[in-house]
Amino acid sequence: MNKNTTRTGKILWLLASLAFAAALIAGWQLIANMRLISPVFLPGPDRAFDAAVTGFESGELGGKLLLTVERMIYGWVLSSILGVALGTLIGSSALARSYFGPTLEFIRPLPASAIAPIAITLFGLSNASVLVLIAFGTIWPMLLATIHGFAAIHPRLTEVGHVLKLSRLETIWKIALPNAVPDILASMRLGLTISLILTIVGEMLMGLEGIGNSILLAARSFDAPNLYAGVILIGLIGLVSNLLLDMMDRRLLRWRPSR
Amino acid sequence: MTAFDQASARKLKNSEQLFTGTEVDKGMKSAEPLITFRNVCLDFVGRRILQDINLSIGRQEFVCVVGPSGCGKTTTLRLIAGLLQPTSGEIVYNGKPVREPARDIAVVFQDYTNALLPWRTAAGNVSLALEAAGVPRTERPDRIAALLEKVGLGNRGEAYPSELSGGMQQRLQIARCLAQEPSVLLMDEPFGALDAMTRQHLQDQVLRIMDQSGTTVFFVTHDLEEAIYLADRVIALAPNPGRVAEVFDIKLPRPRNQLTTREDPEFLRLRRKIFDFVQESEA
Repeated sequence: MNKNTTRTGKILWLLASLAFAAALIAGWQLIANMRLISPVFLPGPDRAFDAAVTGFESGELGGKLLLTVERMIYGWVLSSILGVALGTLIGSSALARSYFGPTLEFIRPLPASAIAPIAITLFGLSNASVLVLIAFGTIWPMLLATIHGFAAIHPRLTEVGHVLKLSRLETIWKIALPNAVPDILASMRLGLTISLILTIVGEMLMGLEGIGNSILLAARSFDAPNLYAGVILIGLIGLVSNLLLDMMDRRLLRWRPSR
Repeated sequence: MTAFDQASARKLKNSEQLFTGTEVDKGMKSAEPLITFRNVCLDFVGRRILQDINLSIGRQEFVCVVGPSGCGKTTTLRLIAGLLQPTSGEIVYNGKPVREPARDIAVVFQDYTNALLPWRTAAGNVSLALEAAGVPRTERPDRIAALLEKVGLGNRGEAYPSELSGGMQQRLQIARCLAQEPSVLLMDEPFGALDAMTRQHLQDQVLRIMDQSGTTVFFVTHDLEEAIYLADRVIALAPNPGRVAEVFDIKLPRPRNQLTTREDPEFLRLRRKIFDFVQESEA
């Protein structure tokens, strides 16, 4: 976002943001060392880091991390595919748009957590339930972005399709969907965040093994170092997945004029 | 593009005509017109846009349409393209009434930026027309390369439209239209948004390409000099409602040349005549 496009400028910005993170951690350590808050509730970053290292060494934390990341990605991919597919069906016809629109507007504001009990009654305390929960909560941005992307095709491009006599399917595949890609990618970024949230919530509600459940259990047993280690790991999942999405964006949107 | 090149291109085409039957057919400006408007009227939300248009356009003819804004130039073009249907009357193309777009009628839109797929490279944009026509995948690269070469974009095949100048984008759109191997090329103020130098360059490029391919051209412009320079015939429309006001035959020799043609006394006479006419009809 910043206007420093030179190499040194970029490095300086990176250093500045790293310095900020370091200052935060140092502040945290300072507060913990001064025992402003009881060490039972607030461990220093040193103890949280130790807990994480021990957890990884025993292999337990790594396994949980994997389970959580897996659920998040499955849910995200599932809801992305469903969202784009449904969005294509609805978006490619004005009739479908007006037909399904009101119903979607009714379902959309429902909090995903309200769906959890329904999912549990239907699928039990299982991975399937978490997937349903994630899919329900995460599908909306993708669905709406796809519908919007279809509605927002420049009329000239539609005419180009007519003049070239593209079939309906070709028009969707070669014009409408690529036209919606920027919108869809932005919504998938949003979707990934929602998916991570719902994965954690789902693990907590359904008692499935994973980081979400492990921080809940750590909190209940006043195991602050493990609690904080888990929270930091969840933060890292978000950070890394966003970086990966950045790379995907750059690759898929390289046709865009550089900003 | 020199006058010599144009002349030799014309000769080349003539010699081809001696040998290939289809070229001879195309070469003869037969009495039967390719496109005919019969009493075409068009209403849009209760307003009459076009009133009783009667026109015929011959094979291989280069027709330019001029007139003040709002006189229905673009509408006329869209009727031929099959993107609009007349309220009454009919447009006949190749003996059949136009009901929908046809594969061999290509349209060059004025707003080239919107008419190109921004997510496809120059080559990919040309490819779209080939894909639509069902050209096998293996044949496409060669044809794309030849088409890009023809419009002077031979080395920009991998560039995205956003990386091309306005003139290049319009040439790319023309290349995509040529990929349809059209019998008719409909051009809607294609050079209106370009600077004067680029415009002249593209005018000559279009003349050369049309000369080689024998395509019929229906060219909408608001630039009278451009119309005279390019056309065999200039059709002047008058507004409210849009109707054919006058048709001018342009008997300037071909190949045309940006300097000598524009200095030709006949060119100046025509320019004065059409200019006076359009001003009168606008008043």
